[in-house]
Order: sequence, then structure tokens, then C-alpha cells
Amino acid sequence: QVLHLLGPKTEADLEKKTKAAKARPAPLEKQKAAVVENGEVGTETRSLLEQLRGEALKFHKPGENYKTEGYVVTPNTMALLKQHLAITGGQVRTRFPPEPNGILHIGHAKAINFNFGYAKANGGVCFLRYDDTNPEKEEEKYFTAIREMVEWLGYQPYAVTHASDYFDQLYTWALELIHRGQAYVCHQKVEEIKGHNPPPSPWRDRPAEESLLLFEDMRKGKFGEGEATLRMKLVMEDGKMDPVAYRVKFTPHHRTGDKWCIYPTYDYTHCLCDSIEHITHSLCTKEFQARRSSYFWLCNTLDVYCPVQWEYGRLNLLYTVVSKRKIIRLVETGAVRDWDDPRLFTLTALRRRGFPPEAINNFCARVGVTVAQATMEPHLLEACAREVLNEQAPRAMAVLEPLKVTITNFPAPKALEVLVPNFPADESRGFHKVPFQPTVYIEETDFREEADKGYKRLAPGQPVGLRHAGYVIAVQNIIKDASGRVIELEVTCTKSDVAEKPKAFIHWVSEPLVCEVRLYERLFLHKNPEDPSEVPGGFLSDLNPDSLRVVHNALVDSSVLSARPFDKFQFERLGYFSVDPDSAEGKMVFNRTVTLKEDPGKA
Amino acid sequence: AFQENEIKLLTAEIERLKNFGCLGVSPSLEGLRDENAKLKYRLNFLQKSLQEERSKTAKSMININSCLQEIFGAAIRAAYPDLENPPLVVTPSQQPKFGDYQCNSAMGITQILLKTKEQKVSPREIAEKITKNIPANKCIEKVEIAGPGFINVHLRKDFVSKQLSGLLMNGVQPPAVGKRKKVVVDFSSPNIAKEMHVGHLRSTIIGESMCRLFEFAGYDVLRLNHLGDWGTQFGMLIAHLQDKFPDYLTVSPPIGDLQAFYKESKRRFDTEEEFKKRAYQCVVLLQSKNPDFIKAWELICDVSRKEFQKIYNCLDITLIERGESFYHEMMKDIVKEFEDKGFVQVDDGRKIVFVPGFPVPLTIMKSDGGYTYDTSDLAALKHRLCEEKADILIYVVDSGQSVHLQTVFAAGQMIGWYDPKVTRVAHAAFGVVLGEDKKKFKTRSGDTVRLIDLLEEGLKRAMDKLKDKERDKVVLTAEELKAAQTSVAFGCIKYADLSHNRLNDYVFSFDKMLDDRGNTAAYLLYAFTRIRAIARLANINEQMLRKAAREEVLILDHEKEWKLGKCILRFPEILQKILEDLLLHTLCDYLYELATTFTEFYDNCYCVEKDRQSGQIVKVNMWRLLLCEATATIMAKGFDILGIKPVQRM
Repeated sequence: QVLHLLGPKTEADLEKKTKAAKARPAPLEKQKAAVVENGEVGTETRSLLEQLRGEALKFHKPGENYKTEGYVVTPNTMALLKQHLAITGGQVRTRFPPEPNGILHIGHAKAINFNFGYAKANGGVCFLRYDDTNPEKEEEKYFTAIREMVEWLGYQPYAVTHASDYFDQLYTWALELIHRGQAYVCHQKVEEIKGHNPPPSPWRDRPAEESLLLFEDMRKGKFGEGEATLRMKLVMEDGKMDPVAYRVKFTPHHRTGDKWCIYPTYDYTHCLCDSIEHITHSLCTKEFQARRSSYFWLCNTLDVYCPVQWEYGRLNLLYTVVSKRKIIRLVETGAVRDWDDPRLFTLTALRRRGFPPEAINNFCARVGVTVAQATMEPHLLEACAREVLNEQAPRAMAVLEPLKVTITNFPAPKALEVLVPNFPADESRGFHKVPFQPTVYIEETDFREEADKGYKRLAPGQPVGLRHAGYVIAVQNIIKDASGRVIELEVTCTKSDVAEKPKAFIHWVSEPLVCEVRLYERLFLHKNPEDPSEVPGGFLSDLNPDSLRVVHNALVDSSVLSARPFDKFQFERLGYFSVDPDSAEGKMVFNRTVTLKEDPGKA
Repeated sequence: AFQENEIKLLTAEIERLKNFGCLGVSPSLEGLRDENAKLKYRLNFLQKSLQEERSKTAKSMININSCLQEIFGAAIRAAYPDLENPPLVVTPSQQPKFGDYQCNSAMGITQILLKTKEQKVSPREIAEKITKNIPANKCIEKVEIAGPGFINVHLRKDFVSKQLSGLLMNGVQPPAVGKRKKVVVDFSSPNIAKEMHVGHLRSTIIGESMCRLFEFAGYDVLRLNHLGDWGTQFGMLIAHLQDKFPDYLTVSPPIGDLQAFYKESKRRFDTEEEFKKRAYQCVVLLQSKNPDFIKAWELICDVSRKEFQKIYNCLDITLIERGESFYHEMMKDIVKEFEDKGFVQVDDGRKIVFVPGFPVPLTIMKSDGGYTYDTSDLAALKHRLCEEKADILIYVVDSGQSVHLQTVFAAGQMIGWYDPKVTRVAHAAFGVVLGEDKKKFKTRSGDTVRLIDLLEEGLKRAMDKLKDKERDKVVLTAEELKAAQTSVAFGCIKYADLSHNRLNDYVFSFDKMLDDRGNTAAYLLYAFTRIRAIARLANINEQMLRKAAREEVLILDHEKEWKLGKCILRFPEILQKILEDLLLHTLCDYLYELATTFTEFYDNCYCVEKDRQSGQIVKVNMWRLLLCEATATIMAKGFDILGIKPVQRM
């Protein structure tokens, strides 16, 4: 099916490629200039600059938190800000705070880019802080995977911290909060305080001394799970009363072991960790807008430095799901192979599929930092990948559906060697050699027994050029099997400088390696597989049966022999490919990252 | 390739089956496993917590009264679950026949049942129901119902004995109070340029003792001397200083007698119109922080400070100076805050604040723009609450200031600086000091008595007393005599003050306070040295006592041993009561009771048995020596809280 789609595009491909090659140098030069200026990778620099458009222009200067609309100023604010500036030296400080309970996805890439990018662009620093307050979810593998992905995207955390690093301080502050009459121990059940307009806690006005004793009892394990919580005395934007600060969980924590049986909540932990780390700009997605007042309230109630929370729109992608729970379902049902299945949009999946980190960063930059939620088509991400891969992935030739071709008048007694430019647009980037023998393989679809009008490739009486070989071949004899299927061609060759110019050039391999090629389509048929109005049967019913096609016996030229997993190539006329970690000695596996052109049918 | 794939899939399938076993796994199994893990975690946690609590409570003394209250509270709740806030009354019994403690709640419950539920139940019946519901505990031996419905409680001997052993091994440890709370105590607070007089004595002594009590109980105490160092009197003092010592900026003026200096300037202020005008200008220049005037102010303050310090050294008082001048800069904001919140009215050019419930308003700014005591007291209140973050704030100030302080506190609540449910702000008021004629304490010539003179006289009288008893000739070295003199003199002055309910006026009498009979420091100090001497005379040293405390069981079979033992263990409940009502005389009463109970014990129970003829030691009753030691330990701690220094010999 893919080949069928590919077939008719060949001529156009060939023509436009030369044009494209001529058109490229300009932006390339611009990027190189940037490299010289900043000593950084060009694409990255551009992404930072682009990010600073939009909302980020409104951001306050460090220490001028009070200038932000809605920031709450207390009698202590100015003194605390002064102290804050003394500690940070006026540096911008941001943080990327993922929960270590799953794999990062494309939405996180925006958060990483924004936090690290904003800090970098302002000469500041960015923390990688694992929000590991919930002991039930954390697994060691997520910690390493997250850090790996941050570094893969090209960022170095100023420090790697954990919310659990601050458990002692958070606990002390909880006592202080009770002490100040701003928190109390409550015994309402989870079900009671769920939903709209839950009844106010009858324990709201109990004396602080009593709460202190009961909170101590919570810490000591005297209450069962759900029997007691510590709640803060405040009403949130959405009318939610008295959010929970601490709850009982009889679960060991992967970092603090069995030290605690009470664990703080997001609402309680997040702003205080930001305060401890003296974060200047606490960037978060818009869902947290409703928690802004509790953020300010808590810092101010405890009289500690209060960072500014800034919200930006989430980045969503169509035709996919990113939630941990749903991906687990996909893995369990066998719809995908694992978290890093190249059809998913987790960062590990994108890496495996061959997306360069620069492409992801550029994509985030293009989406920009706006308050509005951005819902993007995957093809924009693919376009970003093409742009980067065009500069990064050297050429190679591969044949997916091989047809054997024997050259009867091969001009040499043994194999010849052909020089192929790594980047035809820029020959200064070197050449590689591929063997050229009397036996070559071409795509089955590049030969037709009858050439109709508009068909420009090989047919009886219609010769075709072999890319990079410098020869034109013409059909001499067609060999068929019993069923009438063409199984081999015998051709004659002529040097291209003496032959008449052929209508087209095709790719080929000779003395090739057998490899496996995995071709991907969208995993889901609908734009919003999670939307019940669009997909009434649930996202599992919306799977695209053709999302993966495996070509087991594809042929690729020997120039790729020493490639390592994640190395990237442009297979002429087929697309950009990346070496899959499944590759083994003698059997390479390639994933197609993207086709060379956006498929107009999918846009 | 297709088959290869198939093989891969099948191999994976086999692996999976091997790991899980072929049994159909019940879906609830996973849930049960989780629950089991959680229960194990909790068990482990509770064991850890138990250990923690044990190690904490094992060292600190147990408040037996509150233990019993807990037990009876639980019993009453179990007996009458519908009753809201039932009365809970537990007191030590007055007579041995009524047991050791009494619970008198039954009578109160009868009344409540009658009023709220119209049930007529006899208190005896209620008492019976309560006793049936007493939970298992480690301290009650038995209970009896007596009279109309008293529940008499007999404590277990082994419990009391164990508590006493703990006390001997660990020393006097305060009952656990949980988090370290902050207490700010405002006391002493004399005025610069005026002598400290006998009125300041009470605040200084009571305040110091209160600080010691809170510190012992594990609080974080801030002791503040709210000096009167910023009043208008500085105008005339500075003007007078400039006239008398024109070169005061370079040569330190020799003001020996500041009070005379004060009187002189006061006279000029009252008689010389020109001087008066200049005095007012000086105030303005001082308040605008003109450096020359600040320097003059500092010079005057320093003279006073040195005088005050002499007295503080004598009485062993520790204080942080934070006078009215400290709050000067804050007063502007205080006025603004009251204005912003709309509490201020302008009356005849003054800015006043009415506080609900108080007829007299606070004047926070005078018509000339100056501030008043109201303003500085409000500023101090706010600073102590909001900056110092006091959980408890105590003003040890005479009763005459009561209305003023209550108004200031109420204003602080009104404007939202504190919530009385969370923060305790208290005026520990005290009455005036009277002379033996029951009139205001004055010298014969009618002047106020200078404190330093009073202390001098105390020393003299104490020495006379010691010499009277011929202690100087027989027992003590010159050094020991001197130590005994100061200990008795200052100890007696403090104790005389502290042993009276602070709310009453008290009669200052050297003769009474130095009497070595009755509830006086002199008596207690003698009693204490005698107790300490018992072990020494039996040749038992501290090390031997410590060893015995670990190994010997305190036998409490004798009636007087039992009485003394229980009395010793009441110490924590006495302290708890004082932490609540701030009435230190309770501690003095207790120490006196302890000393007399000890005497009863000592008269009836031989600690050391000697041969009548030779005087040789025949037998040492170690457990009784331990009771002596426990008594002395508690007394020493009591003295420490009262600020009295016992001596080894006197």
C-alpha cells in the first residue's frame, strides 16, 4: 500500500529535490551564523528566541514579584523578596517538576523547553525536581528515564531535587500552619468531600492544640488510611473548600523508606518546594490556575518567600493519547508493544521513531507560549522533523520490494564502486562508497511491462537512470515464473554521459544487506480518540489496523552497516529512517520516522 | 520471517505462563496482598511510635492528676455517651481515709441530667456507673464510693514507687508539652532617670519566676524589659544636661545621682517658662533623631541602666532591654493601620480608637501629633505577636494598669493581630506593696523606698539573724556565712512576694520574711539543708544514692512514706496549674506542704539507725534516704523556679 502511494510520486520527487537543494542554503547559512554568535546549536537558539515571544514577555523581573497582577503582598513580602534576591543574586530560577510516575510525553516537552529555555535565555538556572510526594506510584525506572529525556532534549538541570528532600521542612511547616490556626485535622471520608458543594467539615473550628495532637497521632500511625487528613483553611477559586494538605498512607517511599506514614499533597507541597528553591517563575499549565490562590495563600500564611505562578496553555496532539493509564491499556491489549512504541507520542517513542530532539524543541517553539491551549496536528511535528533531518540524515539507498535486475553487458569484470554524496546539496560533507555489480535490485514498482502516458520509469523501450551510478539501463529480457509474475529482468547498460537522457532516475541496491523495515501510520483513526462524541466506543475501538507494517526482507546498501541504534538516514525516495534498538548482528531494523513529503491525503 | 515472529510470540507466552503459574489468579488476590503489605507497614510504624512515646514519657514526670482525669473522662464518656462536656473534677484527697485522689463528677452529672434530660438519678448511682466503666490502667489500685457520690481513688503502690524511682534516675523532667511554643514575658520595665522602687520589685520578681517556669516546661521564652526610655521627660533632662555640662558630647558628664538630677530639672521645668519651652523643643529634636540629642539621651539612659543592672545582679534577673524607643518607628504605621481599617475617630484634634466593651477610648495620637502610651503599647503588642510570633504573651504589670491593658489587647483582637483561641495574651496583674501599717510603702520621711536601700537592709537583717543564731561562731566559714547571707536575704524578699497571691496587696515585713518558722524562705532553706545533710551524715555519697535509685525498690508501707511519696509526685500537676493560671504562690504553698510532710515522715521513720551509746551507724534504710533525696530534688527545682539559691550549709 505504501509503495502504491509512493510510486507515482517519483518524478515529482526527483525534480523538486534539486530545487529544494538549491533553495536550502540560505536558511542553513543563517543557522550557522547563529552558531558562531552563541556557540550553541543553531536550531536551539532559534527555539529559545521564539519562545520568548508571547506570554513570557510579560514576566516579572526577579525580585519584582509584587508587580505581577494578582500577586498578594503581605507586610512581610518586601523583606522576603529582599532576602530572596540576596540568595539568588537576582538570577532567574525555574523548575521542571514532573511526577516520577510515568514516561514523559510531547506535552512535557513543552514544559521542559519553556522552563529550561526561559532560564537559559535569561542567564538563569532550572531545577529538575521530581514531585515524588505520592509513594504509591513511584518507580525507580521513571526517575532515570525522565532525566535521560531532559538531557536528550539538550538541557542540563542546575540541580536534581525531590519534593521528598523537603519532607522534614514540610512537616515542620504543617505544624506551624496548625499552630497559626490555619489547618486542622479532619475526619470526613473521601466520599463525603467529593463532588459539588460537599458539607463543610464539622472539625473546622477545633482548637489548634487538639489538631496538633491528632496530627501527631496521624504521623505515628494511629489513624488508618482515610480516617484523618490535615486540611488547610481556605476556599479555592473554584469554590473548593479546605484542600487536603496531608493524608495517611501506609506505603514505604522509595527515598524516605519507612520514615513516614503521612504524605503531603500536591496543593500543599508544590508552592512550598518552589519557595524553598527560590523559584522566580513557577510555570505551569492552565489547569493549575484554580490553584493559584492556594499557592499564594500558603506561602503567605507561613510567611515564606512566595514565587509567582504563571500559567500557559497545554500542548495537545491530535490522533493520539498521552495519559499513563491509557498507554498502559494500549500496552496490555497489545495495540502497541511498549511505552516507547514509535506510534506513541511519549518522548522515548519519538526518540525511537527517529525524531531528532531539535525537531521536538522547534515544534514546541513554534507552538509558542500562549495562555490558550494549543491542539496540534502531528504533521506539524513531522514537518519540523523533516527540516532537521534534511540537514542531519545522510543519504542511503534501500529497496523495500526488491526486483532482481541482471546487467548483461556489465562494463567491468568485477564489481565497480560508486561514490554517493552524503548530502547531495552540500558535497563538502563527504561521500560514501557503494558496490555496483552485474546484479542489482530495484523496487518492483519501478518497472512496468506497459508504460502508460505519464509513467516515466523503467519499461520495455523506456530506459531509466540509476541514481549515483552514472549508468542508464534498458530492458532486454523479462523473466517470469509459472504464474506469470515478473521475477527478474535482464538489462543492458550505457554510461549516462553517452546515453540519451532518461526520463527518470531510480534508486537501487547491489550486494545489499537484508534488513527489517517498520513503516508507521497513525495509531488512531480519529482526531480525538478520547472524545466520546467522536469515538463512542472508546479509544481502544479507534485503532488503525494499518498503523504498523513490517517489511521483513527489505534490502539496504552496505553503507549503513556500522550504524548504531538511533542513527538516522534518508533512504532515497522513501523517507527518513532511524536504526531501531531491536537491531541485531546481521539483522538491522529501521523505523521510518517520516516520509520525505507530507502526504497530501492526510493533511 | 512470519514464522519467526510466531515463534517469538509463543516463547513469550510460555514465559508468561511459567511466571504466573497456570492457576487462574483470583482478582482479589492482588488487593489482599496490597492490604497485607499496608497492615504490616502500619504495624511496624505503630511499634516504632510506641517506642518513641515510651522513651519520651519514661523520662518525664507523669502528671497523675491529668492521668486520672483521662481515665475518668473515658469512664464518663462510656457511661454517658450522650452527655456533652460532662464535668470532670479530680482532686487530691484531703484525708487518707478518702483515698489518694477523689473524682467528684457524679454530683455535677446529676444536675445536668436533671436539667437537660429531666432525669432524676442519684449521684451515687451515677458514681457506680462511672466506676463500672473505668478502663484498664496502670495507676488505680481500687475505687470506693463515699458519701453522696464521691469516688475515692487509691493509687497503686508499685505505680507510685516506680514513678519515684524514675524521678531519682532521670532528675526532674518536665511533662512533655509537644512543640516548643514561644512565650514573651514583659516584666520589670522601670523608667529611665527614675529610681527603681518597691513597686518594680514585684514585677521583676514575679516575671523572672514566671520565665523560669516556662523555660523549665520547655517553652522558648523571650524576657523583655519594656523600659520607659522615650517619654517627654527626656526634653527637660536633655535641656538641663546641656546647661550643666555644655561639653557633654566630648566629656562624659559625671551624673552620679540621677534622681537628684531629675528632680532639679523637674523643678526648673515647673518654674522656668523659658526652660519649659526649650524642653519641648528638645523632645522634638530627640524624636527627629538629631545625633547630638540622641547622644544626650544615650548618656542619660546609660546612667540609669547601670543602676538597674546592680539590682538585677543582686536578684539574679535576666532581661533583654527593649524599651519604648524600640517601637518608636513603628508607631506611625500603627496609627495608619487603625486609620486604614476605619477604626479611628478624631476628637478635639486627637485621634482616638473606641474598642467595643471598653468605655474609655485609646488615644493613639495627641493633638500635637505626639504618640502616647496607648500607641507604644499597641506597637509593642503587634511586634510581639507578628514579629516575635509569640504563642503566649504575658504582661507582668500592676493591677492599676488592668483596664488600659485589656483595652489594648481587645484593640489587637479587633484589628486582627491575634485570635485569642490561638494565642494567649494575659495580664498577670499584681497588687501594691504595703508597709507594716497597711498603708502604701514609704520611708519614715514619706519618700518612696529606693529598691537598692531595701536590698541593703535585707542583707543587714539577714546577717543579724544569722549572728543571732550564732551560726557565725560555730558552723560556717566566712565564705559560707556570706553565701548564706545573700541566699537568705534575697531568697526571703523574693519568696515573701511570690508566696502571696499576686492579685492581692501584700505587706512588706522583714521580720516576717526572715522568721524561720512558717511559710517563709528562711524555713524552707533550713529544711532543705537539713535534708541534704541526712545522707551526708550517714556517709552515703551521691554515687551510692544513684546506684540505689537504680536497684532498690522504694517501699512505701509506712503511712508517712506513702504520704510523702504522693506529695513529691504532685509536682507536675502544681506546675501545670501555674502554667494555666500564672499564680506562683501555689508553688510556694506546695513546697511548704512538701517540707512539712517531710518533717512528719522524718519524725516517724528512721532513715539512719544509730547506736544510742556510741553513736555508731547501725543500719541505713536506703529506700528512706532515697525518699529524702527525691524530696530534695523537687525542692531544689522549686527553688530554682522561684529564683532562690539554696546553700549547702547554713
